[in-house]
Amino acid sequence: MRRSRVPWAVTAGVLVFLYLPIAVLVVNSFNASRYGGTWEGFTLSWYARLFRERSVWLALRNTALIGAGATLVSVVLGTAAAFALHRYDSRLQRIHFTLIYTPLVIPEILMGMSLLIFFAAAGLRLGLFTVFLAHVTFCISFVAMVVLARLQDFDESLLEAARDLGADGWTATRRVLLPLLAPGIAAGALLAFTLSIDDFVITFFVAGPGSTTLPVRIYSMIKHSRQLPTINALSTLLLAATFLAAAASRRMAERSGSCT
Amino acid sequence: MTARNRPRRFEWAVTAPSFLWLLLFFVAPTAIVFAIALKPADRFGGIQPGWTLETLRVLAQPGLPAILARTFRLSALTTAVCLLLAVPTGYGIARAGPRWRAALLLLIIVPFWTSFLIRVFAWQVLLHPDGPVRRLLTAAGLAAPDALLLYNERAVLLVMVYTHLPFAILPIYAAAEKFDFRLLEAARDLGARAGVAFARVFLPGIRRALLTATLMVFIPALGSYVIPDLLGGPSSEMLGNKIAQRALADRNLPQASALSALLTLAVLAPMFAAFLLQRRRGGAPAGAALEAAR
Amino acid sequence: MSAFLRFDGVSKRYGAVRAVEDCALEIERGEFYSLLGPSGCGKTTLLRILAGFERPDTGRVLLDGEDITELPPNRRKVNTIFQNYALFPHLTVYENIAFGLRVARRPSAEIRAEVARMLALIQMEDQAGKRPDQISGGQKQRVAIARALINRPSVLLLDEPLAALDLKLRQRMLIELDQIHDEVGITFLYVTHDQGEAMSLSDRIAVMNAGRIEQIGRPTEIYESPRSSFVAAFIGDTNFFEGVGVEAVNGDYLRVAVDGLPPLLCFNDKRIPAGGRVSLSVRPEKMHLSRDPPADTERRNVVAATVEDVIYLGSHTRYWARVGRHRVAVQQQHSRYLLDERPITWKERVWLSWHADDGYMLEQYRAADEGLLSLPSAGGAA
Repeated sequence: MRRSRVPWAVTAGVLVFLYLPIAVLVVNSFNASRYGGTWEGFTLSWYARLFRERSVWLALRNTALIGAGATLVSVVLGTAAAFALHRYDSRLQRIHFTLIYTPLVIPEILMGMSLLIFFAAAGLRLGLFTVFLAHVTFCISFVAMVVLARLQDFDESLLEAARDLGADGWTATRRVLLPLLAPGIAAGALLAFTLSIDDFVITFFVAGPGSTTLPVRIYSMIKHSRQLPTINALSTLLLAATFLAAAASRRMAERSGSCT
Repeated sequence: MTARNRPRRFEWAVTAPSFLWLLLFFVAPTAIVFAIALKPADRFGGIQPGWTLETLRVLAQPGLPAILARTFRLSALTTAVCLLLAVPTGYGIARAGPRWRAALLLLIIVPFWTSFLIRVFAWQVLLHPDGPVRRLLTAAGLAAPDALLLYNERAVLLVMVYTHLPFAILPIYAAAEKFDFRLLEAARDLGARAGVAFARVFLPGIRRALLTATLMVFIPALGSYVIPDLLGGPSSEMLGNKIAQRALADRNLPQASALSALLTLAVLAPMFAAFLLQRRRGGAPAGAALEAAR
Repeated sequence: MSAFLRFDGVSKRYGAVRAVEDCALEIERGEFYSLLGPSGCGKTTLLRILAGFERPDTGRVLLDGEDITELPPNRRKVNTIFQNYALFPHLTVYENIAFGLRVARRPSAEIRAEVARMLALIQMEDQAGKRPDQISGGQKQRVAIARALINRPSVLLLDEPLAALDLKLRQRMLIELDQIHDEVGITFLYVTHDQGEAMSLSDRIAVMNAGRIEQIGRPTEIYESPRSSFVAAFIGDTNFFEGVGVEAVNGDYLRVAVDGLPPLLCFNDKRIPAGGRVSLSVRPEKMHLSRDPPADTERRNVVAATVEDVIYLGSHTRYWARVGRHRVAVQQQHSRYLLDERPITWKERVWLSWHADDGYMLEQYRAADEGLLSLPSAGGAA
């Protein structure tokens, strides 16, 4: 059967479409021209400027702190939620599931807005802590869904075998369930971390002065059109970091093999 | 091994942490927003005691329906274009050999991992009057020398499609991967042309994923803020921008809340409709979303 | 004498479905005991009740005099070989086998010694470091057995352990299981739907159907003296003739009137009285086809038949012969000594005969018991 060429053409087109702006960014970060319209020579001066930019480093620090903290807390809460949703089938869990599922689908601006109002009503000063609280809130759902998916794929007969061989509930969980679930939990953690460090809208609403994260800093740099080429350099570095992380996690996944 | 044998207390213990957290930081704030929409504002950006419908009346100002209409229109268009591109792409990747498939999926997902702001910014650079695209088009004679690619609805739509496309591709790919392509062969064997087989056999076969993809693009699109903010002009303002303006710039919390409440209802409506649709056909959108989230 | 393992009036239902209904079993120490029956007959449920994964609604389970009905699975001296083996994918063969002892916190020297012993038993000493996804199906089977046996259980439960293996491997594992049972000497409770497995391995078999136990006995008893038409139809192949008992003959026999056939004589050990509807069951290998009527007709049933189908199977040939409204299966081993000059073939008119002692009387054949061969007689509808 002769296969139509259309899907391939569209796929290729989509890929070009997806990578075009990224390619332009990377190229322009080395472009001596300020506006990137024409190529005016190779330079690393934008990178140099970037490294001198203190506000960026501060924002990076905040981002990393919040990322780590939010990931930690949301992994614990999200994994517990996944356990509950998987093991129990009750009215409570049905409500629980709606509670977990809804933050995934509503637009970020609603969550940002409602948290802003909430913190204002509660008298909490906007700062790193409020950003942390907000990040945990939207990360829980993602972690829960990832871990839940892994739990649903889990071979229950392994736990029965463990109990058959003398393990009580907790021992079976410790020796069989958790080791096999670890990659799933790690995947959830990775997802949470990625979402946290990249979040803009919600953070924008609930961050205070001095608690700028990297995305918020980037936004203000874009908005005020200052140092546009520096942003190119920053973007390229972030892209490189992402690619490296993606490659590393793939290598890790391949190494651990079929431990599912 | 039955959960029924475990004491109820254990279920509560495991459920409580996430349940209470989300109740406190998700449900309560949303409820407060709805409440504040009905409270009068004070001059200093806070709220006065008492209740009023003044805010809602003010919202009936002439500008708002236009913004609402634009928000819906752009979101719907974005969804349509995304589906149009995602279906052949998802199909193409599912048909590819296993090694190609992994590579292609990675290629689709990696931009999604990079910073959202950066990608939007990249388009700002691309579409800038001095940027490569405009210069290329002018050189090719396809655009007038002073045509503006930025700061209008076209730019907003383009970049909205750009950022939401992976969310449409992934669920459709997930369903296409599970699709039994021998059904298409059977259709061809029975005399259908390729296009007809595609429309009558493949599309209905992945209709759940189509619904999921629609929701996963349309609903976040309704809440777009950054894209119209960075790439749109004053004439392409969307509801998200209005909310942010009222909340952060004008410091009018009741109005911002009212608009948020409006957006919330606008978002819940299609979700509810999809829920009813799934219930009639059997199955839950949550399940399909779960598949896509993997 | 109280049996080593007992099920007393055990019942279990899931919603409206009665998985197990008032089952009573007594299993001797060291026995190889099989639960045999079609899917859904309740055999796996009984196994899981014994293992502790299901709680019976009524009844008790007694092991070596102790009532273990309420004990959780990890406290029973019972170990299970799961149908999919359930080997821990994140542990090596060595650690899988050692699992039960590690959980019981045995000293490491003891664990080392015991695991080595088990590895020798299953002949996998040089695979100790491999993971489950690196070994074959048969090897996984053996690791599962070692993992269970190392705990020295009182009873070993096997839940259709050979179902996932291909034919040749299954035959080999059958022999191995037999050997392991002989060597280790503990009680095996084996669940299967495959009668070949049950018959070749077991000391005794309990045939189950729809939650009830139909018959318990040694393999020969089950095969040669089925108590019910279900057992007759489920075990091996058989032909059924429906009819009415006419009169008792010589005490041990019953003459049966079957529609469209001369009266048939049948051995009647159950002493079913005349007058009621009965089912006469004869296994295909007990029947003979010949061109001339057999000389010896003493207590032989002889009817005229026409050959409809001939299926050559190498070691034997299966014939389908039409007798009136009956389609009868006949199986003949090949032997030059017994063969005519020409083999019997299609459309030949032959004489079908069998000895009265080779038939058995059963209560009226129930259509619901039909598993296999011959179509029932008058009326046609099954």
